[in-house]
Amino acid sequence: MKPKFPSSEWLNTLCDKLNNDPHYASIAVKWEGDMTIIVEPGGALKEPLYYYFDLWHGKCRRVAELKDPQEEKPIFVLTAGYENISKIMKGELDPMQAMLSRKLKVQGNMVIMMKNVPTVLDFVRCAREVTTEIL
Amino acid sequence: MQPIIRIDLSSQKIETIIIPRTWEKDYLGGASLGARILYDSLTKELDPFSPESPLLFLCGPLTGSLGPAVGRFVVCGKSPATRLWAESNCGGFWGPELRFAGYDGILIVGKLEKPHYIKILDGEVSIHPADHLWGLDTYEIQQRIKKEIQLPKSRVLAIGPAGENLVVFSGLFCDHGRSAGRTGLGAVMGSKMLKAIVVKGSGKIPIFQEEAFKTIRSASNRFLKDDIYAKVFHQVGTASSADYSDYLGIMPKKYYSQGYFEGAGNISGSKISETILVGTSACHGCVIACGRVVDLGDGKERKGAEYETLVGFGPNLLISDINSIVKLGEACDLFGLDTISTSNIIGLAYKLFEKGILDVNNTGGLKLAWGHSEEAMELIKLISSRTGLGNLMAEGSRSFARAFGVEDEAVQVNRLELAYHDPRGASGMSLVYATSPRGACHNKSDYFLVDWGQTFETVGVNYYKRQDGAEKAENVAKHQNYRTVFDALVLCIFSSVPVEMILDLIRFATGFDLSVKDLLAAGERSWNLKRCINIRLGLKKSDEKLPKDLLTPLSDGGSAGFIIPFDEMMDAYYEIRHWDKVTGLPSQSKLVELGMSEIAGDFYPGSIQLAKEV
Repeated sequence: MKPKFPSSEWLNTLCDKLNNDPHYASIAVKWEGDMTIIVEPGGALKEPLYYYFDLWHGKCRRVAELKDPQEEKPIFVLTAGYENISKIMKGELDPMQAMLSRKLKVQGNMVIMMKNVPTVLDFVRCAREVTTEIL
Repeated sequence: MQPIIRIDLSSQKIETIIIPRTWEKDYLGGASLGARILYDSLTKELDPFSPESPLLFLCGPLTGSLGPAVGRFVVCGKSPATRLWAESNCGGFWGPELRFAGYDGILIVGKLEKPHYIKILDGEVSIHPADHLWGLDTYEIQQRIKKEIQLPKSRVLAIGPAGENLVVFSGLFCDHGRSAGRTGLGAVMGSKMLKAIVVKGSGKIPIFQEEAFKTIRSASNRFLKDDIYAKVFHQVGTASSADYSDYLGIMPKKYYSQGYFEGAGNISGSKISETILVGTSACHGCVIACGRVVDLGDGKERKGAEYETLVGFGPNLLISDINSIVKLGEACDLFGLDTISTSNIIGLAYKLFEKGILDVNNTGGLKLAWGHSEEAMELIKLISSRTGLGNLMAEGSRSFARAFGVEDEAVQVNRLELAYHDPRGASGMSLVYATSPRGACHNKSDYFLVDWGQTFETVGVNYYKRQDGAEKAENVAKHQNYRTVFDALVLCIFSSVPVEMILDLIRFATGFDLSVKDLLAAGERSWNLKRCINIRLGLKKSDEKLPKDLLTPLSDGGSAGFIIPFDEMMDAYYEIRHWDKVTGLPSQSKLVELGMSEIAGDFYPGSIQLAKEV
């Protein structure tokens, strides 16, 4: 059974997915860096979420649910409201569209980001594939 | 607004023109106001190189105000390349300096018998011999004039040898490679024997409510600093889009015939940032600073290639060496050539050589082979000097191909070469290229970004899938209307401040209290005015077609297999625009609705009466 988003089970399942998906492994082979996804409260989500991913050469080395976003200093911080993250997870909002329409804010090195948009898109594909139920 | 100065080069008569306040409100400034001012003088019979041919430089109501990326001006006239409406805007510092000198524009007519330059110092206008400056490149000329007039902080706008030689895709250049590149107005300036216009001013630009303007100006610049687009353009330059454009199959390769090129991964804004970037450059007051400063290893700081130049001299020619691409772009800047048209025409020459239509007898011994940059450099020199094959190439890709009996091989619309955003990957661009008032231009609507996912919901521009068809026609029209406002203000399209901020900036700068609806109507009015000008200049609906290569699906890459449903898209677009499907003319009711009954009267008798009844 696929876990509900957001949850610790979902986070760990996504990590497993990233480590076992051949397409992600191939497209993210040059990716070096970690990121925190901040989900701002809205709808059914009452408190903010901070999901940390340590991603390296097509693998997910570690995930963590942070209590404070300052616990880690990732190269990217992606921030979105719960409703928009839910739409992305459900495939109702394209991640690039979300970025370009400011529904998904990106902080970090844009040189790396623009070079690796396909990796980010494939990360989202993996996330969608492990998500069937949203809080 | 401040006066426009009219200079008749033939008689050397100089006078000022006051623009009616109603025109200011209806057209705002920049290219839109330029179209209204030139409406009566642009005729089908007018030779762009004749003394009567006007060359109009205009600022916008925000130019020089230190607002969000507003340091731009536009130059307008009749294009020697397209024989249609011409406009090309330019950043740098020249536009603001003109306003500081007391003028919002310069209208030049007439012709000099020998080379001269114009000097404008705090309202004083004078004309000076430039025989000794004729032939100089666009960087050298700036230094020489500044030294000659002993004003190192003056700003010089000049043409290079290509403009002097009437190459129909030559531009005007200022500062460090900032250019009004498209539509060939550098050649119009060259035809008048006018090498440069130098400006220096110490005045203040008129602002309707200064304190309120300062507040919104600061807020909009703060917004811009934190904006995703500004961050990307600042950190990675305009070529930031290259990697994703390549991935989607929007970046053209091998003169629009290939969807995949292994070397494309080596050339992008991110690659420049990681390798040769040593700094950034900005236009007047701009917080984005999208300009790249690079060092190719010889210790010399050069202008880095932006997206169009990078792709035009890169994947378009199957060249993957960044240093070579930068040097080819630099050569175009020095000679005063538009990099988009130049790289297109060189791509066409490579293609014709590959097909055996050209051979070494035509090229003066050059073997044109994909991936080779040395021959491209030689062709740039030949074009600029109109030598050998370059003389044919200097007439634009359609004329060049026609000279060899293969007009269909040229990738252009209305004689303007395409920018490097393939509509097979971003279908909205097919309508943009076909209907732009200046030919196949990507700046009258950068709709490829909307096809990527950019939206402007407040002005009704929403998201459609990148290869959708007729259903996006209305969205494209709305985006064109909105971007036409940018061309009027002359606001950089990288300035993605919200429309509410734009309205406030206009309100406090000019006193015009406009709504979003009014603003979009101003854009639509101008779009239709330029349309009317072009119809009068001979544009027909049958001219609005895509070249055959773009209607052929790509066999590889991110857009492989897609065929643009072009006819359906155009039908829907014409319907939405209320344009006649035979003549292409806007309907009488549309023109009257937009408050253009005077213009309508030239095409439909009785329009003024109709407007009164409405």
